[in-house]
Amino acid sequence: MTDPIPLSGRQPRAVRSVLAVLEEIVAAGPGVTAKEISAALKLPQATTYRLLNLLVGEEYLVRLPDLKGFALGRRAARLAVPVVTTPPTAARAVVEHLRGLVRWGVHLASFGSGQVVLVDPDPDHPPSDAALLARYPQVSALGRLLLAEQADWRALVRELRVFTEHTVSDPAALAGMLGRVSAEGVARQCGELRADRGCLAVPVRAPDGRLVAGLALSGPAHRVAEPNPELVELLREHAERLSPLLG
Amino acid sequence: MRDGRSPRLRVRSPVHGLARRRLGPLEVVAQSVSGTAPSAAMAATPVIVAASAGGGTVWSFVIATVLALLIAGCIGRFTRRMAAPGGLYSLTAKGLAPGAAFACGIALLVGYGLLAAAALAGVGAYLDALLARAGLPGGRIVITLAVVVFGLLVAALALRGVRLSARVVLLVESVSITVMVVVFTLLLLGGPAEGEAAPMPDAGIGGIAAGVLPALAAFIGFEVATALGAEARRPFRSVPRAVGLTAAVSGVLYLFAAQTQVIGFATTPGGLAGQPEPVLTLATARGWSWLPAVLDAGLIMSFFACALATTTALVRVLFSLSRDGVAPRALGRTHARFHTPHVALAAATPVVVAVLALPVAAGVPVVVVLVALLTLATCGFLVAYVFVCLAAPVFLHRIGELTWPAVAATAVIVPILLVVLVVFVAGSPLAVVVLAAVVVAGGAWFGWLRLRRPERIAAIGVYDETVAEDVLGQAA
Repeated sequence: MTDPIPLSGRQPRAVRSVLAVLEEIVAAGPGVTAKEISAALKLPQATTYRLLNLLVGEEYLVRLPDLKGFALGRRAARLAVPVVTTPPTAARAVVEHLRGLVRWGVHLASFGSGQVVLVDPDPDHPPSDAALLARYPQVSALGRLLLAEQADWRALVRELRVFTEHTVSDPAALAGMLGRVSAEGVARQCGELRADRGCLAVPVRAPDGRLVAGLALSGPAHRVAEPNPELVELLREHAERLSPLLG
Repeated sequence: MRDGRSPRLRVRSPVHGLARRRLGPLEVVAQSVSGTAPSAAMAATPVIVAASAGGGTVWSFVIATVLALLIAGCIGRFTRRMAAPGGLYSLTAKGLAPGAAFACGIALLVGYGLLAAAALAGVGAYLDALLARAGLPGGRIVITLAVVVFGLLVAALALRGVRLSARVVLLVESVSITVMVVVFTLLLLGGPAEGEAAPMPDAGIGGIAAGVLPALAAFIGFEVATALGAEARRPFRSVPRAVGLTAAVSGVLYLFAAQTQVIGFATTPGGLAGQPEPVLTLATARGWSWLPAVLDAGLIMSFFACALATTTALVRVLFSLSRDGVAPRALGRTHARFHTPHVALAAATPVVVAVLALPVAAGVPVVVVLVALLTLATCGFLVAYVFVCLAAPVFLHRIGELTWPAVAATAVIVPILLVVLVVFVAGSPLAVVVLAAVVVAGGAWFGWLRLRRPERIAAIGVYDETVAEDVLGQAA
């Protein structure tokens, strides 16, 4: 009936129009209305409304509280390559301090773009491929911190890919695990991305409580599986010190 | 809002406390399908329609399906743009004046409340029938007890969390519909009884139109998914689809059921219209003694799922009325662990059960109670549909996205719904009395609110707004 016509590869004009609508919303800024978009792009109004509703349905766009204006939704962050910004020197010094205390790899990742972006990877213990971490947040401890914070973690997970025999790929098991991550404030991953490596991560929160970054230790998988209370405490201490520097 | 100023966004949704964005598309559809309870209507409605429409029974169902799809279209204009736990009440508030939205809210409370009670009555009635078939004692005491027990079970599931109740509903309703489809397919393959063809009297256009009334009533509850707006994942896609799909699927099931029964009685003088219990008669004629028990079990499940789905919606409407400052504030609280409106549930369940259990315990036959509750619930739903269909084009005009199909749909559906409503109310003296009482009570409530909380009334229509963290670049 009034369902939007599904887009197929045979409708290049519709695809082009969708991209033009997205560009127009970025250019015009939050609050631009459907009528304004239709006028700016010279698209028929009914077409514009349909495309906008489609993009809202897919959550690339959101309607602002007046229901007239549009803005980019969180999902649109997935359209952009995350920009790696160097953290402030003071923050890097905290991370460096931790590296001096442990024999594990110490990595700092930012979650500002809604993705896992390694902003200070350990040069002596190179972490897994950054693109892999960004792409499959459910298999890394850092990614799990980010997912545990979401109202709907599935929105950020593209594919439940299996990397090793330990990879958790069952949605229910993952949901339970993320529940424990948010309850305990620590995430871990043992041999799920590479069979011999594992990771422990704690959240770095801004003073107002927002999750801004994650601080991770990486080491041998069997060592990560141990409770490691003193290591977690050490991580938490440093995350605490990073809070005012990154928030 | 533009001109360089950043739009004002809340940090948390005004309907916070519910489990936001949790339900998958299938769970949302199941909720709506259960609200409609097509299994029960498949067995019961064709014969009622045939009483007026005669040979045009199937056409009455075709028209009713088209009307339901039009209503779904009007609701979809909202649900593609906003997600509201208050369902049609909150949607109406975005198009029409607060008074109209309030009236829609009351109509919806009556509709969901009585439909939930009717569904429990259905559980009781068919449980009684099943017990009688097994040679076990039934009667009003057993029915009353069953109603109370199932009412508590519904409340417990609705409290325990929206995901659990949605899954229970999905499972129960799928089994029930499968049972019905299998039964009807067997009946259809059996063909009519031996004998001369005895066509049903042709009732003409008037008869078909009169048959649309009960046929449309079979669709009520198909919009239940709107109340899950805040709790559905990708609500702007899944909710409008669920409502449209439910209307379409129910329509197909009804056409199938009607056709089966019409064919089954093609050789019986008087046809389907003359049958008090058509499905059972067809089964008995074929010597399938096992079928009535299976049918009863299927219907009990369908009614149970319907009770759960409508209770879930009912408490979310109460929750929204409370968050709007219309109903007592306590009703807007949510359970810290289960994320469901537990206070509203505690307030609503006893009323729903009492509406039903008291007359049954007093000796009124449960089937009479069931029919009366269904009639009254239908009136509530029809009023709510009128409001939401009227509101759709006004809402689109307000946000500057009006298109001509929206106006055309409303222009077609609203007069028809009004006629249906008037005929429906006029046909039932009980409905006149109850409706009058509800209008008086609702009017008094609204008058008091206008006097005491004019600013709250002017701003009603709480919904799951976009919050800062939903917008790219607004939060870390």
